[in-house]
Amino acid sequence: MTSAMTSALSVRNASKIFGAQIALDAVSIEVAPGEVRALVGQNGCGKSTLIKILAGFHVPEPGMEAFVGGEPLELGDPVASEASGLRFVHQDLGLVGNLDTVDNLALGQGYITNVTKTISWRKERAKAREALAALGYDINVSMPVAGLQMSERTAVAIARAMSEQGTPSKMLILDEPTANLPGPEAQRLYQLVRRVADSGVAVLFVSHHFDEVFEMAESVTVLRDGKLIATRPVAGLSEEQLIELVVGRKLEEHDKGEAANREHGTEILQLMGVSGRNVSGMDLTVHQGEVVGVAGITGSGREEVAALVFGGHGRAGEISVNGKILPQNRPDISIERGVALVPAERHANASLLDQTLRENITLVDPGRHMSLGFLRRNPEKADVRVWLDRLSVKPSGQTEYTMTQLSGGNQQKVILARWLRQEPVVLILDEPTQGVDVGAKADIHTLVDEAAAQGAAVLVCSTDHEELVRICDRVVIMRRGRAAEILRGEKITAENITAATIGRDTAEPAA
Amino acid sequence: MSELQAVAPRRRINFGFDKFSGLYVWALLILIFSLWIPDLFLQTSTFKQILTFQAISAIVALGLIMPVAAGAFDLTIAGTLTVSVCFTAWALTSGYGVVVAAGGSILIGVVIGLANSLVVVKLRVNSFIGTLGMSSILIAIAYMITDSSQIVLSTSGYAPFFEFARVEMFGLPRSVYFAALIALVFWWILEYTPGGRYLYAVGGNPVASRLAGVRVGRVTMIAFVASGATSAFGGIVYLATIGTATPDSGSGYLLPAFSAVFLGATQIRPGRVNVPGTLVAIFLLATGVTGLQLAGAPSYVTQLFNGAALIVAVALAARTIRRQS
Repeated sequence: MTSAMTSALSVRNASKIFGAQIALDAVSIEVAPGEVRALVGQNGCGKSTLIKILAGFHVPEPGMEAFVGGEPLELGDPVASEASGLRFVHQDLGLVGNLDTVDNLALGQGYITNVTKTISWRKERAKAREALAALGYDINVSMPVAGLQMSERTAVAIARAMSEQGTPSKMLILDEPTANLPGPEAQRLYQLVRRVADSGVAVLFVSHHFDEVFEMAESVTVLRDGKLIATRPVAGLSEEQLIELVVGRKLEEHDKGEAANREHGTEILQLMGVSGRNVSGMDLTVHQGEVVGVAGITGSGREEVAALVFGGHGRAGEISVNGKILPQNRPDISIERGVALVPAERHANASLLDQTLRENITLVDPGRHMSLGFLRRNPEKADVRVWLDRLSVKPSGQTEYTMTQLSGGNQQKVILARWLRQEPVVLILDEPTQGVDVGAKADIHTLVDEAAAQGAAVLVCSTDHEELVRICDRVVIMRRGRAAEILRGEKITAENITAATIGRDTAEPAA
Repeated sequence: MSELQAVAPRRRINFGFDKFSGLYVWALLILIFSLWIPDLFLQTSTFKQILTFQAISAIVALGLIMPVAAGAFDLTIAGTLTVSVCFTAWALTSGYGVVVAAGGSILIGVVIGLANSLVVVKLRVNSFIGTLGMSSILIAIAYMITDSSQIVLSTSGYAPFFEFARVEMFGLPRSVYFAALIALVFWWILEYTPGGRYLYAVGGNPVASRLAGVRVGRVTMIAFVASGATSAFGGIVYLATIGTATPDSGSGYLLPAFSAVFLGATQIRPGRVNVPGTLVAIFLLATGVTGLQLAGAPSYVTQLFNGAALIVAVALAARTIRRQS
């Protein structure tokens, strides 16, 4: 154990330049043994770059110095980083789902064998149980880890990192440890981190979630645009102050008022107590001609809303369109009722990559141009061409191109064309401009405006906050599975959305 | 990504090698054998023999197109054919009429298709494994029906049944016309009906298809039922052509059907299984095999040729898809 006087981690003057961009600019950071430190900042602020430098994956610019437990750290070498006592647990945990805890732990350190090189399973199981008990977990170590709860899996990953052979662990570095954890499981993880810290190991965790910063950390380091903004003790720090440090300017009070939609038409889409895997008890109404945005960090339920409404996932609660209930798990019936979904990840969820644009667009109702028992190809082509032109898909008029021949932005337009052609009553867009270039993005936004102007109720789930500002009349903020807050009118700014998504659950859930 | 990245249309003279290479190879094979063994090969009887012998293979392969288009393997096709052959023979020799025997046989094909889709869609067993298991069960059923021996239909006793496949029109037996009719119907379904679009969509991306409102499970089920019924019909044609039922009647039909369907997927509509491509592949393979046999090659050349063709076909298909993307 290191003396209390020596820092567990001491980093001086860490910089990293990628091409013309300064990712990290002379950042220094000190963490004491047994201290729990949060590392926060917006996307692209340099958090992951710093972590990757510590892990030895990036070579920093010359001039950086780092010490682990007082010993100098050899930079740019993952093995040296490991040997120095730094322990990393990445967001995806790196566990093998169909192996049990014993095997997953052994992946890091090898098996205990007897003289005949046979694995001693009894000893292995005892060791695994011991390692997890030290973290406060009592789990069945012989069960495939895929069957464990999320926080238990995190515990297994931490146990593996901590029990790495060779040098003692001096510091545990966690990358967004609770990104996918529902409330009670996050609580278990907080306790786990506390135990680790109590054993004298320092903890540094990257977080987008202010809940865990305030619950778990003793101090917080804020990065913005690659620069160190501040390191503060959490005690005495208010949420507003922290948001201001992260975003870089003071924010106005959020509107938490009740729904009132003067300019919009009748209620079209209604969600009543809708729950899914991450979403719990969500209420929402979308009116004719209204564009409602859904924002939230990963794990907040945002990523699930679109599929839940469309009926792509199983769910509890009721969803109705024009008063008619949508059954769950029946996309075909949702479509009949006028619901359209442009899903996230168009390659996996929306595209027939090897098939023509024509077939991709008419997939929803291939029978539209059928007469005397035959699909008529020429009217179908003409129909599709109109839509390709309307959405200015490039190259223009090529109905027989396959999806693979188009750029990402044009592929997305084709998927959008598929649904706009159905003249939807409810249009749901999930990450509509993911991996789309700037020009196509602007086009897609205009098309959403037009769809709303023609009376569609539009729901947009997006992590692109500028996008929500651009197209939405109202933005619902998801936190821990609930519609926690609503932003309207002038209050819809990218900073406000960001602040609200990472904000703490102070208010009652708004509808 | 920029708009410029979209691929510009290729302007070049197209000899159709990409779509019609099979036809060229077929013509080449005919040419080679015509020069090599003109006396044996260039006979009307040779071509009649190829068409007649391949009618059953064609029927089975055509049925297989449906599940493969929907992205599922159906390894029960040969087993279904066997059960159909044995059941029909058993029903006829037990004194039932032709209609009962044939109708019952088709019904069995439909039930096998439903069972396959139960295993693949409801129980979520991988289609390759699921239908492999099913095909073993079917062979067992065939042994049960025939009591582990063979059932021979005497030509005199069952004349009306034999007429079903053997009566000739324009010099070709009815079985050839049956195959042609099935080909026509399946071609229409796949190319000119929404059902065909759904089959290819499910085969292309089941997740995207589901989110576009396609009833993926139902489409897969219909594909299996079509395949089962078609193979069962193939069994009836087989019995009416050959006249003998044994528990391994269908064993020779599995591999050629797969060879034809996958080789067919490189033809006419490259990158997807299709009816005309499958027909080209069947007759291409049959011409090669028949020519070699006439030239004096041993009988195992059939197995050799079909096996090699399957591997070459799949390799070619993979190459076609890589080229497209």
